[in-house]
Amino acid sequence: MERHPFVFGIRHLSPAGAYYVRDFLDRADPELVLIEGPADFTDLIEDLGAEEVKPPVAVMAYTKELPIRTILYPFAEYSPEYQALLWAKEHGRRCRFCDLPSQVFLGMRAAKEAKEGALPAQEGQQAAEREADQSQGGSRTEEFDVYRALDSQCQDKDHETFWERTMEQAGDAAGYEAGAREFGRSLRQMEQRGARDYAENLVREAYMRRQIEDAVKEGTTPEKIAVITGAYHIEGILGSDLPMTDKEEKALPRLESMKTLMPYSYYRLSEHSGYGAGNRAPAYYEYLWKGLLRKEPDYGARRYLTGLASFQRNHGGLVSSAEVLEAARLSQALAELHDGRIPALRDLRDAAVTCMGHGSFSELALAAADTEIGTRIGSLPGGVSQTSIQSDFYEKLKDLKLEKYKSVTAAELSLDLRENLRVKTKKSAFLDLERSFFLHRLRVLGIQFASIQSVRQDNATWAEQWSLRWTPEAEIQIVEAVLKGDTVEQAAAFELKNKLEENQSIARIAEIVEQAFYCGMPVMVSAALEHLQAMAVDGAGVTELADTAGSLSVVIQYGDIRRLDRRPLIPILSQLFLRACLILPQECACDDGAAGPLASAVSRLQTVSVAHDFLDRERFLDVLGQIAARDDLNTRLSGLAASILLEQGVMDSEELGREVERRLSRGIPAELGAGWFAGLSSRNHYALIARLTLWEKLSGYLDELDQEEFKRALLFLRRAFADFSSMEKNQIAENLGEIWQVNPEQVSEVLGGTLTEDAMEMLEGLEDFDFGDI
Amino acid sequence: MSNNNVQRLPAEQLFQKEIDTLIANEKYSVPTGWRMSPRSVLTYICGGSCGGMEITPKYIGHERLVEIAISTLVTDRALLLIGEPGTAKSWLSEHLTAAINGNSTRVIQGTAGTTEEQIKYSWNYAMLIASGPSKEAMIPSPVYRAMEEGAIARVEEISRCASEVQDALISILSEKRISVPELGIEVPARKGFSVIATANTRDKGVNEMSAALKRRFNIVVLPSPESLEAEMEIVKTRIAQLSESLDLSAKLPEGEVVEKVCTIFRELRAGATLDGKQKLKTTTGVLSTAEAISLLANSMALAGSFGNGDITDYDLAAGLQGAVVKEDEKDQKVWEEYLENIMKKRGSRWLSLYKECKELNR
Repeated sequence: MERHPFVFGIRHLSPAGAYYVRDFLDRADPELVLIEGPADFTDLIEDLGAEEVKPPVAVMAYTKELPIRTILYPFAEYSPEYQALLWAKEHGRRCRFCDLPSQVFLGMRAAKEAKEGALPAQEGQQAAEREADQSQGGSRTEEFDVYRALDSQCQDKDHETFWERTMEQAGDAAGYEAGAREFGRSLRQMEQRGARDYAENLVREAYMRRQIEDAVKEGTTPEKIAVITGAYHIEGILGSDLPMTDKEEKALPRLESMKTLMPYSYYRLSEHSGYGAGNRAPAYYEYLWKGLLRKEPDYGARRYLTGLASFQRNHGGLVSSAEVLEAARLSQALAELHDGRIPALRDLRDAAVTCMGHGSFSELALAAADTEIGTRIGSLPGGVSQTSIQSDFYEKLKDLKLEKYKSVTAAELSLDLRENLRVKTKKSAFLDLERSFFLHRLRVLGIQFASIQSVRQDNATWAEQWSLRWTPEAEIQIVEAVLKGDTVEQAAAFELKNKLEENQSIARIAEIVEQAFYCGMPVMVSAALEHLQAMAVDGAGVTELADTAGSLSVVIQYGDIRRLDRRPLIPILSQLFLRACLILPQECACDDGAAGPLASAVSRLQTVSVAHDFLDRERFLDVLGQIAARDDLNTRLSGLAASILLEQGVMDSEELGREVERRLSRGIPAELGAGWFAGLSSRNHYALIARLTLWEKLSGYLDELDQEEFKRALLFLRRAFADFSSMEKNQIAENLGEIWQVNPEQVSEVLGGTLTEDAMEMLEGLEDFDFGDI
Repeated sequence: MSNNNVQRLPAEQLFQKEIDTLIANEKYSVPTGWRMSPRSVLTYICGGSCGGMEITPKYIGHERLVEIAISTLVTDRALLLIGEPGTAKSWLSEHLTAAINGNSTRVIQGTAGTTEEQIKYSWNYAMLIASGPSKEAMIPSPVYRAMEEGAIARVEEISRCASEVQDALISILSEKRISVPELGIEVPARKGFSVIATANTRDKGVNEMSAALKRRFNIVVLPSPESLEAEMEIVKTRIAQLSESLDLSAKLPEGEVVEKVCTIFRELRAGATLDGKQKLKTTTGVLSTAEAISLLANSMALAGSFGNGDITDYDLAAGLQGAVVKEDEKDQKVWEEYLENIMKKRGSRWLSLYKECKELNR
């Protein structure tokens, strides 16, 4: 190319760049505006420029296949690219993106990852966003970091401040343009040749040159083309290297991808600071942008300091106007020390800390975060390019009156799932229930928009407490879910179905039943039930059966609150329960390790059996009776069974007394007896404490033991009583005192007193007890 | 009295050459009442080169804080330097006034016995009784003089003064004038007047400053040196300057010696080893950089006077013992724990120092 197009060098998210790019375009008066950004995003320009679009918004490209890789291109109102495309729209000029298509970016990244060894999906995502930022140009590798090198050469030791002082405060378009050119040139010089990113930049520039050439071939003269690109690329585009050939273009790696628009947040923009395109303080930059529009260069500074002060005042801090004035003066003096005409963010912040924060940043940290980063999130009108699931999500938000929760600060939402009898329409009567369905569906999809607060207990009630917070991450997760379905409901159904097919354990499937039930998806519930029935026939352990029965029981008990037909569940629960009863006794012959989970399974079955009339309770109690009576099972479980029977009134005190005597009689190894006792006492402490006969027997048992046996038993009993509170222990001691006919005051005196040294020694001796033969 | 016999010269005389060079090569505009531009003050304090002369850095690390301090004085606000003991508050305040006014001697030393007269003015009572109040019978305070001359006054250890004395500064700083009712006059401050105060955050026996007074100051908190390297550099520079003025006949401590002292000080100060892996108990006293400097100077004196001029581990151990174990038995235990748990396990490079310390800490 002998005749060159106009090239305007920018930095993404630069208010001055955004302001002067319009100046530049007015002067250049191009027919075609080319903007750095994936070429395939061109058809989104129309939507991006729509009046109702409120930045920050981002274009997101994502692969159609797993693992999902994404690229994000955020735009703020003060993005030069955004202003350039608005200009083109206002003036009726053509406008295109001219960088490598997103498919190629994704393809190159996949290739790079393959080379460096596969990354886990999560990290892949992170890398993706970094990549998008690197489009600013400039390489950052572990060994060499252009921006760090830049930092060390700046007067402020910080390239962000350098940029702000020299570029954002350039004062006129010519100055900005010249500055950007010089900045880009220096970056190129500093960059280590041969770095991978450097090579990537060359490929991108070749592609951009090709785009320009294509435009010229179409008949646009080069003088009528304006290119808006990162300062770094100016030389590359205007340089003498040849544009990319067709063959080269074909050889680029590609991954099929889709694209969508999404709202973005200032918070998320700020997280990218330090990556060249960093925008450490989006809200502050917005002030700068407004200052430029108002032609008041110090507007940003004033707005920043007053913003800090009013945040402090609103949050109970004391900031006087005098202090704000002092801070303004100090920041000005600091700027002058660095040849600045107006203070940069760094000056403002340091001045604020000195004058308003009494010298410590921590006093102002919250205010600074609020004033520098802000909580703004963008919004898109209905009908612009979005994925179907995004539209569905926003429609649902509107429909369910959840729109006000679309905010980056977390908000609490309490739901009452019962029918609201005070409203007329059916829809509003069950509004909270619908909301709950919706939020549960999002949860199933792993979209972090809503998280349920107080963990649902086994006995779910009509109340739910949610915490809602919209983040760009949540939006990305929504977009990613588009591969699963077009609406939130469809995607959730797809997800559950997938889980159903992947899972072979009935407990997991019961969980899916439960989830489907919370999501209000009856079709899914019955599909899952069929699955469950098929599986339940095959062998499953008691613990698993109990977990499953527990999940189903909850659904049956509280199903009506979610207006769901529970009848199909009943036969399955009965079937599972019966099976559990049948295999329980034989499973109880186990070691102590297995007894733990089994014990909670028994307790759970007990809860289930009490909750439902249709279950065969007689059989269950009968089984427990067997377990309690048999000597060949794990004693702990036998003890537990006895305690349930006791609780249910099936076993009376007399029977208990007999049982205690038998279990603790002489000759039975102490650990077995103590284990039984531990099982007995594991459920209901008070029921035991209240039964004096029990303690009499226990006392009698201990009297019979010889020294060695006593030591052994002591260990186990100590363990058994570990769960008792000190109050309960005192009551036991009083019980024993009564049996030994000691008066209660004496007992509590002994208990309250400190241990004698002998006793201490003896207790320590117990720690060394040889467990070898147990 | 010749300059050579003075134990400690004020900064402006010690670094007169540098100040003169900076003034001679001034390129930027000089605020009223100042002798050089803010930028030259910064160069004087943080080092650099000017007119072919190397300016030694007086304050190392945290250049930004110095910028803030200087800018505060440009906006004729009063400056309050706050920090733990030994973080070079007074040092910085002295050098600031030396560079800005060429006179760092308008000082009020804050003590529990400081009175309001010492902040405003007092009288020559013989003259007062003989001939009544007159300008001649009045003895102006450093602050008074600074106001008349449009210069900067220093108030050291302001938090040691009683609260009512501190509050005498409030009206001076807000009205910028002192009235002398006995003479019926009012002295307005000339342009360039300001106050630099220093205050300690950790010492015992300090009076909390009132909010009203704090509001009249821009507050700069001086932290302990950021990194081991920064601290070592500070110590080395100061030791070199000190040994010149004190005529210590020992060699300057080697890098390794400085590193050891700074490491021990930093670790005991922070309550953790430098790599952050091990927690330590801290001492009751503050082990400041200033103390590390005086410890090394002390060791040099020992080595020079009683040894062969090289700092041995024996000299160092004596100094360390004195610096670390200050008040009670607790410190002794802290030090012993440090010796056994940390120093002993550091290997051969630390071994001989460990042995000497252990010997002394019995």
